[in-house]
Amino acid sequence: MGLSRRGVLVAGGAAVLSVAARGRFGRAAAAPAPVFAVPSATEVDWVEHVLGRCTFGVAPGDRERLLALAPRTEDATDRWIDQQLAPGPDDAPELTRRLGRLTSLGQPAGELYEWKPEVLLRELSSAAVLRAAGSRWQLREVMVDVWSDHFNIDASKGECAWLKPADDREVIRRHALGRFRDLLAASALSPAMLWYLDGRANRRASDAERPNENYARELLELHTLGVDGGYSQADVMEVARCLTGWTVRDRHRFGKARVEFEPALHDDGEKRVLGRRIGPGGGPADLEALLDLVAAHHSTARHVATRLCRRFIADVPPARAIDVVAAAFQASAGDISTTLRALFRNAEFRSPAVRRAKLKRPFHAVASALRSTGARTDGGAPLLELLRSMGQTPFQYPTPEGPPDVAGSWTGTMLWRWRLALALSRGELAGTSVDVAELTAGAGGLDGLAAHLLGRRPDAKERRALSAGSGPLAVLLASPGFQRC
Amino acid sequence: MGAIALGNLHDDRVLVTVFLRGGADGLALVPPVGDDGYHEARPRLGVSRSGALRLDGVFGLAPELAELHPWFLSGRLAVVHAVGLDEETRSHFVAQELVERGGPTASGGWIGRWLRARGGGGALGAVAAGTEVPDSLRGAPGATALGSLLDLAPGQEWSALCASVGALYARDAQLSTAARDALAAAGRLDSLRSAGVQPEHGARYPSRTDGALAHTFGEQLARVAWLIRRRVGLLAACVDLEGWDSHFAQETVVGPRMRALALGLSAFATDLGPQLAKVSVVVMSEFGRRVAENTSLGTDHGRGGVMLVLGGGTPGGMHCRWPGLTAGQLDGPGDLPVVHDYRDVLAAVLARHGAVPPSAVFPEHASQPLPV
Repeated sequence: MGLSRRGVLVAGGAAVLSVAARGRFGRAAAAPAPVFAVPSATEVDWVEHVLGRCTFGVAPGDRERLLALAPRTEDATDRWIDQQLAPGPDDAPELTRRLGRLTSLGQPAGELYEWKPEVLLRELSSAAVLRAAGSRWQLREVMVDVWSDHFNIDASKGECAWLKPADDREVIRRHALGRFRDLLAASALSPAMLWYLDGRANRRASDAERPNENYARELLELHTLGVDGGYSQADVMEVARCLTGWTVRDRHRFGKARVEFEPALHDDGEKRVLGRRIGPGGGPADLEALLDLVAAHHSTARHVATRLCRRFIADVPPARAIDVVAAAFQASAGDISTTLRALFRNAEFRSPAVRRAKLKRPFHAVASALRSTGARTDGGAPLLELLRSMGQTPFQYPTPEGPPDVAGSWTGTMLWRWRLALALSRGELAGTSVDVAELTAGAGGLDGLAAHLLGRRPDAKERRALSAGSGPLAVLLASPGFQRC
Repeated sequence: MGAIALGNLHDDRVLVTVFLRGGADGLALVPPVGDDGYHEARPRLGVSRSGALRLDGVFGLAPELAELHPWFLSGRLAVVHAVGLDEETRSHFVAQELVERGGPTASGGWIGRWLRARGGGGALGAVAAGTEVPDSLRGAPGATALGSLLDLAPGQEWSALCASVGALYARDAQLSTAARDALAAAGRLDSLRSAGVQPEHGARYPSRTDGALAHTFGEQLARVAWLIRRRVGLLAACVDLEGWDSHFAQETVVGPRMRALALGLSAFATDLGPQLAKVSVVVMSEFGRRVAENTSLGTDHGRGGVMLVLGGGTPGGMHCRWPGLTAGQLDGPGDLPVVHDYRDVLAAVLARHGAVPPSAVFPEHASQPLPV
């Protein structure tokens, strides 16, 4: 990897820190602001494309920190991706400080029951916004978003409100860049998932009992093989049998949130899943055998590759890219970082045609507005309220397939994106502020600000619009160019 | 206003829910004055046989709801009694959540599920008339609180921003339609803000002299009616009328709220004119109240309550398999049992609002829609 500690620090946001520090002491207008690099081409260049897709928005200074990693641009983006795929233990001090105030985040699963569900949900949602806007490990945050969708849990169901914080920490975040098989196993036995998809109620103590197929179906349809992945209803029923007996203690019992295997509730007969035999008497080992089978299935590789290509390349992912990414997933036994490297090297990802053509979803739109303006924010209620209005409240998407990642589902949110643009630029969001003068000066003036936010120099029409009475920052944040990554 | 293509110009049916929060006493709204058990249980709070406005041989409408009686008589108001949740909870919080969700384990709100299954909601497809989006709208794309939308960022800067972004989006292949929708919605909200709401067909919403509660409720309904008439693409609207938790001195709690409800709803129905045939108003609460009055002239949390369906093509009428209020018929601590599931009322209404099967909205309930 060849990454020095100093490299991490430089890459991580020393420049952002200095910008923030000046803002805090209120001498922005007077101080000679260092000009951060902005793109100079009329089309979106390779660096802006990499930053646009692998982050929640290009922060002031991101571009020059990336370019400083190597003399050749290609090498610099490679180095940057390498760094991002191996996050260090530290993060931006401002973020660490903010997260430190959200005291529920670090609580063990059982302890979370001491908290009010609405407090847990609020802190977890704020943390998601803060991390997306402020973490120096942006690609990890993007992948956390991807996996939170893939293994969607609606925290408002059953006891999920108490359990989702632990799922976020110990399933999604822990394995976001690791191995898919580990992520899958962690999810399968996550207390929140056992609640959300009724796995806890899946039992067969006698022949008369019918297993609960909810999780088994979604495991195949959403988490692994995909709906056309080549499984049958019989497979769903056999998968459900494999998983009988795994349950979680509810809040009325001692040892709440403890996941257990109850042999008496397990169907220990022989099963046949996807044409493979799982022998009788396996007990809890049925789960491992099953996960080995589905994680290694070629349909799973394609299903995951499709999701990744949709997120990183285009709403309708090119078939050739899916082939390549699926092959990398399969060859690396589901190593997520290796799979992503293959994706970023792929010609379809590099094509100029896909650059800034992907509509940001509401969460991405909000995070990128904060991030690219260098906003100071507490990730608080006004932002969450906007997300709610746009239909993407974190961790509250009601159905297991998670929020869609295609433009058509989100084009009805324009009004709120514009509201955000105006409110943010005018300092009308409580708990969030932007130093517009400093940002503009740092970008080298209005044209620079436009280039920073659009990923390219503004065209004549955009330049004209900047003189509108609402102020240039609001226009840029509300413009179509900023809605895409 | 020009003919701008919006979400539902060709399908302008709108669902309006009015949630009576706090557990509205169905026996006060629609007293079963023909049931002797009622007069025994409510010696001080009860309405006399002649005091109620006749609905059928058993039921009458509370005198405070007088303005609703003509709508019943003309067949545009349906009344359902002994209706509610199939769960035994008597907690406001739990019951409201269950009702708004449409079942114990279903995810999201029932209106949210309906809108997603239905598809086609635009920038103002679903609104809450107050400042908060209720749980029933959870999962609805673009659900928003009208109150906060009107309060946020008004003024010249907003108009200037709309004008300049409008030009930028005009040639955007992917977003121009959405932007045009949003601009049209913003323009209508702007005129709602500046010109104020002008009721039609001689409708008179409650004024300040009718009390703050009635005034606010009327104002919210007037905004919804205005949005419906301006065809902004509205598919669903939620209005709350709070404070029905009448444990103590019930008449002072429930009386003014019934007045607010009657004055507001009748003005709303008048305001819409012939369009009422395409607008379904459903009035509901989380539960009804104990049959017997308590010693502080109030009533405690119960089970079965009342739902109303106004307009939208309802055949109207009184609907109830009345169990009677004799002791043996009562539930738990002395409550009107739930004879009809609230979802069977909602499913009947939704059936007139598009081709979404009830199972997509209420996956846990085998709906048997009532003829309302």
